[in-house]
Amino acid sequence: MKLILPPGLTKTQFDQAMAAFARAIGKEWVLATDEDRETYLDQYAPGREDSHAAAGAIAPGSVEEVQACLKIANEYRVPLWPMSRGKNFGYGGAAPRMSGTVMLDMGRMNRILEVNAKAGYCIVEPGVGFFDMWEYLRSRKIPLQMGIPGNGWGSIVGNALERGFSPAGDHSNNICGLEVLTPTGELIRTGMGAMEGGKAWALFKHGFGPSWDQMVVQGNFFVVTKMCLWMKPEDEAAISVEVKLDKPADIGWFTETVTPLRLRGVLDGYVRLTSFQATATVPTLRKEWYQGRDSIPDDVVTKIRERFNVGWWNGPIRLSGYSDVCEANLKRLLDGFAKHTKQEFKVTRLAGNAVSGPTTYPLQMVNWFGGRGGHIGYSPVMPADGKLVLEQFERTRRRFIEFGLDYSGTFYNDGRSATNVNLILYDKDDAEQKERVRKLFVALIKDAKEQGYGEYRTHLSYMDDVADSYDFNHNALRKLNERMKDALDPNGILAPGRNGIWPKAFRDQRGKL
Amino acid sequence: MRARTLVLVVVALASAFSGAAMAAAAPDAALVARGKAAFTHRCSMCHRDGGTGTFILARRLGAAKSLLEQRTDLDPTYVRTVVRWGLVNMPRISRVELPEPDMDALVAYLTAPKAPATP
Repeated sequence: MKLILPPGLTKTQFDQAMAAFARAIGKEWVLATDEDRETYLDQYAPGREDSHAAAGAIAPGSVEEVQACLKIANEYRVPLWPMSRGKNFGYGGAAPRMSGTVMLDMGRMNRILEVNAKAGYCIVEPGVGFFDMWEYLRSRKIPLQMGIPGNGWGSIVGNALERGFSPAGDHSNNICGLEVLTPTGELIRTGMGAMEGGKAWALFKHGFGPSWDQMVVQGNFFVVTKMCLWMKPEDEAAISVEVKLDKPADIGWFTETVTPLRLRGVLDGYVRLTSFQATATVPTLRKEWYQGRDSIPDDVVTKIRERFNVGWWNGPIRLSGYSDVCEANLKRLLDGFAKHTKQEFKVTRLAGNAVSGPTTYPLQMVNWFGGRGGHIGYSPVMPADGKLVLEQFERTRRRFIEFGLDYSGTFYNDGRSATNVNLILYDKDDAEQKERVRKLFVALIKDAKEQGYGEYRTHLSYMDDVADSYDFNHNALRKLNERMKDALDPNGILAPGRNGIWPKAFRDQRGKL
Repeated sequence: MRARTLVLVVVALASAFSGAAMAAAAPDAALVARGKAAFTHRCSMCHRDGGTGTFILARRLGAAKSLLEQRTDLDPTYVRTVVRWGLVNMPRISRVELPEPDMDALVAYLTAPKAPATP
């Protein structure tokens, strides 16, 4: 990837800045060749890769080195984009929002600093991956478990900071204390960690005064150097209930059944239901089923379901905890289902520690079209109400059919809200199809906005569009975020444009791709 | 288009150099051991049995060429190029995730002569 300079910088100024970074952290950790830049492109970009092209990367190995980098970035006005391990696939991977930004690659800071089995938490640096933690727990026989997202290749810290989730729930809810650097280099610990020698940093979230952890999540006000994260003790027992629902409309009564149970704690985490499509996209190619350029028709849907023996909607429900409680909760769940269907649900009893480890297996779905594929998700948050969920599904599927793309949807229910992840797969080398993807995405943002639903997270290319949709009182919240951004980051060097928050120095870049 | 061309170049490199690895001198054992560790740490989640990379390679090249650790036709330039530039659906790996000394070791491991398979 050829060099794209940061806006406003000459090549000479850029070279001087990179030389200064090299003096601070060692020249081997300043990565600015064409090949280096290539490694920070978005592998699954829904548009042009050079819309989000890094000018290079710097990789400090300590808090002090990060501070030195921030000082240099302010001196030379070099925008930096902090990243943990760069596996944010579907949302931009390792790439920055604004081309010409230099990646602040935190991957070398990869220590597991503490794991406390008694209190159920860990303290980790940004470079620690889910595989690393899994291996750490297993090799030491530590009876803790963690929520693992579909792509287990990424960083624990990065995932939580993106508000990533798994069936265990929203991982950002488990953050309990952070160590961060402001854009101007001040080191801060949040919550109880704000006290020198504080003993409850990883135990109590809020400390004294305003609670800052969620200001860090999905923001661009700080660089995270340490995270305290709650983990769950291993369960005594677990029960898996295999849900296979035959008709699309079944999601309505299913939602009405599980929502009150989740609200009362009979179920925990996210109760999810996924459409049939997900069973086909990983192990098979689309051309095995259908050659048309339109959305897969219903007769093919039937063939897929028959071959994989799946419902229109599918999803295991996992009950876990003490054995007698699991059995009582199972009865409540099955009694709820029996009010709507005579269907039998397969029930499997498991050991409490029989949990799946990290995997990259679902990433295989990007090969659905057989060549260089990609994926993005459109994921609005809405009420966990059966009627509304059914309407959302029907409206969204109509849009997929309108734009000739294969519908693949999941609803994650936490008892109050439902996060509706719509997976859009495409062939990166099919420009006409990618244009339809863009039109679909824009239409989905508009549709959801009309219902009062908004995305919880989005790809780099749509951050400004989604931020626009949060428009109460003329986007008053974004204006507040940008006032805070300008106060904390006067030169606008940290992650300009992340989630629609643009610093004054680069505000003219809003909406530009 | 550029990436597509790259794919063709990489595939052509693989063909041109096939067999070269087998003819190479025996590599340093410590380097190969380090390479195996790098593979386990950085590659195995996709490229051992049951992994995404193994599955997609089987789809593209057949089952016999799907497990990288068993391949005898991998060339150093080919391995380096795929790691840094990605291939088809494989994401690129940076010098932070796989520093050059580990890359050298990984290349040595994947291109080392393989013991004949036991019947």
